[in-house]
Amino acid sequence: MDFDFSPVVTNWRFLASGLVLTIVLALASMTGATLVGTAVGIARHYGPRWLGLVLALYIDSMRAIPVLVVLVLPMIVDIQLSPFATGLVALTAHLGAYVAEIVRAGIASIRPGQTRAALALGMSRVQVVRKIVLPQAIVRMLPAYGSILSITIKDTAIATVIAVPELMRQSETIAAQSFRPLEVFTTTMLVFFLLLFPVTRGVDAVYRRVQHLGRS
Amino acid sequence: MTAYARIGAGTQPVIVYHEVVKRYGSFTALDRVSGQVNRGEVVCLIGPSGSGKSTLLRCTNALEPFDGGRVLFDGVELPRAESEARHVRRRMGMVFQNFELFPHMTALDNVAVGRVTVLGEAKAAARKRARSLLAKVGLSDKEASYPATLSGGQQQRVAIARALAMDPEVMLFDEPTSALDPETIGEVLNVMKQLADEGMTMVVVTHEMTFARRVGNWIIVFDHGRIVEEGPPAQIFDRPREQRTKDFFSHLGWGG
Amino acid sequence: MNLDWTVAWQYRFMLAEGVLVTVLLTVFTMAIAVPGGIVVMLARQSRFAPLRMAGTAYVEFFRNLPLILLVYWAFYVLPMIVDIQLSPFATGLVALCLNVSAYNAETFRAGVNSIRRGQHNAGLALGMSQWQVMGRIVLPQAVRRILPVLASTWVSLFKDTSLVSVIAVGDLAHNALQIRSQTFRVLEMLTVMAAIYWCLGYPQAKLVDWMHRRFGVSE
Repeated sequence: MDFDFSPVVTNWRFLASGLVLTIVLALASMTGATLVGTAVGIARHYGPRWLGLVLALYIDSMRAIPVLVVLVLPMIVDIQLSPFATGLVALTAHLGAYVAEIVRAGIASIRPGQTRAALALGMSRVQVVRKIVLPQAIVRMLPAYGSILSITIKDTAIATVIAVPELMRQSETIAAQSFRPLEVFTTTMLVFFLLLFPVTRGVDAVYRRVQHLGRS
Repeated sequence: MTAYARIGAGTQPVIVYHEVVKRYGSFTALDRVSGQVNRGEVVCLIGPSGSGKSTLLRCTNALEPFDGGRVLFDGVELPRAESEARHVRRRMGMVFQNFELFPHMTALDNVAVGRVTVLGEAKAAARKRARSLLAKVGLSDKEASYPATLSGGQQQRVAIARALAMDPEVMLFDEPTSALDPETIGEVLNVMKQLADEGMTMVVVTHEMTFARRVGNWIIVFDHGRIVEEGPPAQIFDRPREQRTKDFFSHLGWGG
Repeated sequence: MNLDWTVAWQYRFMLAEGVLVTVLLTVFTMAIAVPGGIVVMLARQSRFAPLRMAGTAYVEFFRNLPLILLVYWAFYVLPMIVDIQLSPFATGLVALCLNVSAYNAETFRAGVNSIRRGQHNAGLALGMSQWQVMGRIVLPQAVRRILPVLASTWVSLFKDTSLVSVIAVGDLAHNALQIRSQTFRVLEMLTVMAAIYWCLGYPQAKLVDWMHRRFGVSE
């Protein structure tokens, strides 16, 4: 069997633009999911019961439906969004539910005694959440949050089905044009691995350093 | 009737409990408890586990909502609304069994955080005050340490400094030495003794009978959510009147 | 806008077939990936260093790879390397198994490692053999920790089977999207597809929650 990596080499700019978009989409989705998830998670823990039920339905629905389905679902509304915008909205909605669960579990894991101690000092409920509960919860959330980060990067590859020109999509195009899927896809695999591995490891390392800040 | 003159007798009590009732479902944790704490007194609440001592302490600063009766602080009834409860809480310091130091802050910031967030004091001024309080509890060298690196006794002393930072009129201690190793109990009790000697009004839930006897001015014995008897330490420890008080002491192996 | 929901009824057999393929893919993958995960886990705990490294490399590689890329790779590249033509279903199955085995290996390893060394020693002190300690002391305790995680993996897998639709495996997602492009009933078919996935996935997600509450260990 002879290998020919020239399609990868000659089209490196095209592939690199895909990699850039993969990273941009992942960061944007993660930012969106963090905002949505934090709000939903806090509302679910501290909010009224009816709101909690509504939010639980949102979260459980997102856990029940595949990302691929969530990605194509925006097509049912008659608004013309770019593939990138569609992907961003879908991934934010999907991952936001997971982040919400992590935030809620993080808050719930802080002993009630911590809240009591802060209240005893005379802090308001809002101050207790902001100054005492959330800072500790964030530390405890880090490992789960880190795995969401790598899931996000992996999920961006699924956005290929709605033609977002990220790395997966660009690789498919080159593979089809050059009839060299082995070389192209193997290269893409390596690139994704090199992107994801440091992320996973980096989060672990950060967590080990700050772990004690969340241990009450 | 005892002829003992209680400290602060005749003046307005700092805390008054009037027929306080607290239920958890069908379980009655406090059954019409009445009593008072005078200015400058060290009141020790003793009794078996689950007898209601800690519950009463948490009702004192409105951390625990209660079902009946009234609690007066400085002559004013405790507010039921959370937003107003804050104003009462900042005037009382509380020390917990499990320390409850904030793990994401250094010892110094643990002590300063109340002044900064609740009183709105500038960080530098709050830290200056915190430093002097850490010195008071003998932990000047630990100000940059995080709670996870401190021993139990050190953590509890930081917690006492944290409560003192708010310049409280009363200090509430909820079994402050129960979670400590035997060798570090002494350092915490010494700090508490020092506070008592300075005239701080203190309410102490404790299993340390030696401390209650030596430092306490007034002892309240709890059992099954009720006050069994109360009086000066000499009376309670040497001549208890109630059988249940005697039973409690004999369970502890105290006295004879 | 005129909607025509009868399209779903008209194509009911195609949708049902899709559901069947989705369920079969999930069941087959798990049936292979549980023993697969155990093998990889044992390899990682082997006394033979190269085997240990191979096990670790396997887990790290497949956990850090988008599954959809693995599906494409198995479809286009695998036949070129091993020189056998697999059906799309078998190809999808291979990709899913490679992926899930890696996750399961991690789950098993974490489960076994979570049992304190003292338990192991207590068993040995009673005179049990290594195997007896493993079988009677460590595994029964580890199972309680492994089951909920395995259940979570199951739900993820159920959803991830939709990714094999890109290589024309006739699963639910593929069939529903096919009907969509044949009939141009975009809104109806996408809604129906989401609804079917929801009906199947929601109870599973709830069951997982229950298992976590029932068996979950809070540290």
